[in-house]
Amino acid sequence: MLAAFGDAYGIQFPLLSDAGSKVIRAFGIFNTNIPEDHKMMYGIPFPGDFLIGPDGIVRDKLFLPSYEHRASATAIAMRNGAAGANAVEIESGALSATVSLSGARCFPGQELATGLVIRLKPGWHVYGKPLPSSYRATELIFESPIIGEQSMELPAAKPMLLQALGETLPVYDGEVRATGKLEIKWSPPMPAKFLEPFGKAIAPGPYKIAGRLRFQPCSDTVCEPPQEIGFELPLEIEAGVPPAPRKPA
Amino acid sequence: MEAQEKADILHGIIRKFGAGGKDITSEEWGRFVAAQNDGYRTGPEIGARVPDFALPDQHGKVRTLKDLSGPNGLLLVFSRSADW
Repeated sequence: MLAAFGDAYGIQFPLLSDAGSKVIRAFGIFNTNIPEDHKMMYGIPFPGDFLIGPDGIVRDKLFLPSYEHRASATAIAMRNGAAGANAVEIESGALSATVSLSGARCFPGQELATGLVIRLKPGWHVYGKPLPSSYRATELIFESPIIGEQSMELPAAKPMLLQALGETLPVYDGEVRATGKLEIKWSPPMPAKFLEPFGKAIAPGPYKIAGRLRFQPCSDTVCEPPQEIGFELPLEIEAGVPPAPRKPA
Repeated sequence: MEAQEKADILHGIIRKFGAGGKDITSEEWGRFVAAQNDGYRTGPEIGARVPDFALPDQHGKVRTLKDLSGPNGLLLVFSRSADW
């Protein structure tokens, strides 16, 4: 079974078989929700990933409650320090910025990491939060019918007394770096009425993920009106993988 | 969720799949997923030691935690099935 599966997908790493679920039980992740007389599912684990150091100590782990949505390999790599592979540059008078996605391709249901680097020109700043409603805080927003949840937390902005305004407000100057998450919606693997509320089919192929960087640039002497700069990043949605052929028993 | 209720949900869906799956509702599917994930556990915490193991790989060779670990350790992925 595992040999056929590994051959079908060209898998180079070891695939281990835990017949009887001994190791799954030893790890404490045996799925006790499945009744013993359930032929198909009895013995499965709660699925998840462990990053284990050479000393056998767990360094990190990832368990998700919903199996439709998974982190992509590029998102995991980017959270661990890799650079975004799919980037666009933004220019305005007061700043330049780089917006990136962790990858240029993914499957439906995968989560990508997002990156933002803002480089302010000397003497200019933009605002953080919390902020009075008369100013615009810096924000990066992605927009596309194929995206689900998104989040990006900017670092804490430093309070600065702005002489011209006579107010102390949270600002960014110099360079600002932030990373976030962007979920690509799940696409049911087969047409089935009961799966429709969980996700509509997404055709594989090239897509554009649009977005806007919102900010308000100010210097010691001038405060410009709030700005929004739009951008687009390409994203290739990959076709689902067909089931591995089975070797005759 | 009661054990009997979970068992009924899990058996019920597989019976319906066996019969073609046409009359499965999205509420039933939602309950099927919830029954599987009820009170899910994630094993050893970050900073804890994982248990040793010895399991056969796809070529029949027995592999242990120690021999699978490289200089940077090991990424160990628990999957539910390679068959469905």
